Amino acid sequence: MTATTLPRQRRSGVREFGTSVVTIMSKELRSRFRGRRAFIILTLYLAVLALIAYGAYVGAVADATTRQTFGPDGSAVGVANRSAIVGQAIFALLSVFQLMLVAFLAPAFTTGAISLEREKATLDLLMTTPLRPGAIVVGKLLSALAFVVLMILAGIPVSALVLMYGGASVEDIIRAQVVLLVAAVGFGVIGLFCSALIKRTQGATVIAYSTVLFLTVGTFFVWRLWTAGLGGTTDGAFGVTSRAPEELLYLNPAIAMVEIVADTEITRGDMGTIMAEIRGTSGGIECEGDVCFTTDGGAVPVKGEPAVVNDCGPNERCAAPPVAAVFDPPLTETGHFLPRFALAFAGLSLLLTIASMRLVVPAGLGFNLRRRRAVPAVETQP
Amino acid sequence: MTPIIETRGLVKRYDGELAVAGIDLVVGPGEIYGLVGPNGAGKTTTMRILATLLAPTAGEARVCGIDVTADPVEVRRRIGYMPDFYGVYDDLRVWEYLDFFARCYSVPAARRAGMIGELLEIVGLTDKHDAYVEALSRGMRQRLCLAHTLVHDPQLLILDEPASGLDPRSRVEMREILRELSTMGKTILVSSHILTEVAELCTAVGIIDRGRLLRSGQIAEIERSLRATALLRIDVLSDGEAAIAWLGTDPRVGDVLAVSSNADVTRLEVPFDGPADSQAALLQGMIAAGHTVSSFGQATSDLEEIFLKVTGNDEETAA
Repeated sequence: MTATTLPRQRRSGVREFGTSVVTIMSKELRSRFRGRRAFIILTLYLAVLALIAYGAYVGAVADATTRQTFGPDGSAVGVANRSAIVGQAIFALLSVFQLMLVAFLAPAFTTGAISLEREKATLDLLMTTPLRPGAIVVGKLLSALAFVVLMILAGIPVSALVLMYGGASVEDIIRAQVVLLVAAVGFGVIGLFCSALIKRTQGATVIAYSTVLFLTVGTFFVWRLWTAGLGGTTDGAFGVTSRAPEELLYLNPAIAMVEIVADTEITRGDMGTIMAEIRGTSGGIECEGDVCFTTDGGAVPVKGEPAVVNDCGPNERCAAPPVAAVFDPPLTETGHFLPRFALAFAGLSLLLTIASMRLVVPAGLGFNLRRRRAVPAVETQP
Repeated sequence: MTPIIETRGLVKRYDGELAVAGIDLVVGPGEIYGLVGPNGAGKTTTMRILATLLAPTAGEARVCGIDVTADPVEVRRRIGYMPDFYGVYDDLRVWEYLDFFARCYSVPAARRAGMIGELLEIVGLTDKHDAYVEALSRGMRQRLCLAHTLVHDPQLLILDEPASGLDPRSRVEMREILRELSTMGKTILVSSHILTEVAELCTAVGIIDRGRLLRSGQIAEIERSLRATALLRIDVLSDGEAAIAWLGTDPRVGDVLAVSSNADVTRLEVPFDGPADSQAALLQGMIAAGHTVSSFGQATSDLEEIFLKVTGNDEETAA
């Protein structure tokens, strides 16, 4: 084989894969968007989203009149920018609600993708066509995600309401959409993998949702328990002395979303509290290099040693014990989890997609990601 | 000429259980080959191996000269497979269903519309072009599934019990369609657990039981090979006991069995080891001996009995 023919053949392989994916997608989408069902669901979804935005607005307006901000010395300097508080409240509620919705919907569209074909005995018909298993899996995934992605995109104008009030920037909204999209793909792939792995749709659904629940909620609780197990917290605050490895939370889309919302907050809200715990700043601890101090004049806890009470007033920077060696330094970087989550989830999706392809192929009939060499043509009958 | 189907020592084992125990099958171009055997004989397994859905444990299977495990995709381009049990996609119209499969086989868009019309005509579903697949009756679905196997104009059709669950009229229709496809030059492998069903249709049959191909060839040949030990059915009006005693003296007669006897007729089943002319001689002898024979004939004209005989012989040798 000469060097010139190889790329050409590879391209035709890619093209063949592409056409196969489109074939599967067009069939899947045809049946999914048939009738009015899809459009009714989309309309309802947007109506609910708008209602939530309105609810957040009503709730935040009442709150905003009494909310105060504090100056660097701790004294109240006045009422916070009401408009920004309203904007942040809407942003927080919408983002979290949308993520929950993605977590529910994305697996729902894919847990039946393969197992339903098995149950309805249509998979054999599909597998005896020359379509590559990879193309079948990818086509199914893309068509299943098409509707979820459509919902996410359709929700952007509602999220954009936030820009009217301020408090969250265009970048924040884009970040939230990125989390939603990456989560949609990842959850979709998890559903697909379960569908390929487990023969029955019912079982696949249970496993898929359990996995989604574990990733979004479970990992955080494991992290908390681990942190609690790591040692005493002198002042009751979590995650002060030592924290469990933050890598546990890289596969958690909720944390990535909470971080985005928390970073927009002027005063520490619910999201900020969660993030402070993860970052190790919930005790009001700040660090500069190796030297850590408390903002409320309390003690800087040191693992394995009795609490050292610093004799200084609130927000005075007093020298703390040399704590760097025993102290997990708090995380001060904002936007820390988003790129890590995106990378981890993309990697997981890729891995599970390839595994699903492998699972669809009948055992013993070789699976090859690359195109096989052409077989000498056999004379065809007239 | 390369045979369309060729298997050598094909073996499939499921969890230690032997489903196919060394099948050598050769089907030439243009044949309609019927694979007949009881449920669980290994018909479906054999067909699934040929359809590239299962990998054989041992042995090899070739379709149009291509090894099914070495290059399943090329085999798939040459076969149309209809499983014994299959579903249809909801929410698709008949033409969309066929269009989808045509696209799976990369049939160019320009040819698809015309071809779908032709296929629907062959299977007699022209008026169902825009109907939803789920609204079709069982017989219609069966014919639609048959049409789907034809979208890429394959050389070989592998049809697993295409007539199962159909009413007699639909069976006849199915048979006519298969005959038509055969005249179009397709090689067809069909399976059935009823020999009579495939006997009229097929150019050759293979009788399969417990994973082994017991007989293979034209039905007439198989029948002839069994004729040596024909089972005669003789009705005697006179004393049955005397007739049995008389028959017992003939060395070619096996153990005579009185099947039924009422007031005046005794029906005897007589295993007889001899060709047609010695059967005639036996009848003459009986009449000459004074037995009033009212009916004399071969019981094995029934295809089912051939079938039972072949599978039964195997049981004896296996035991």
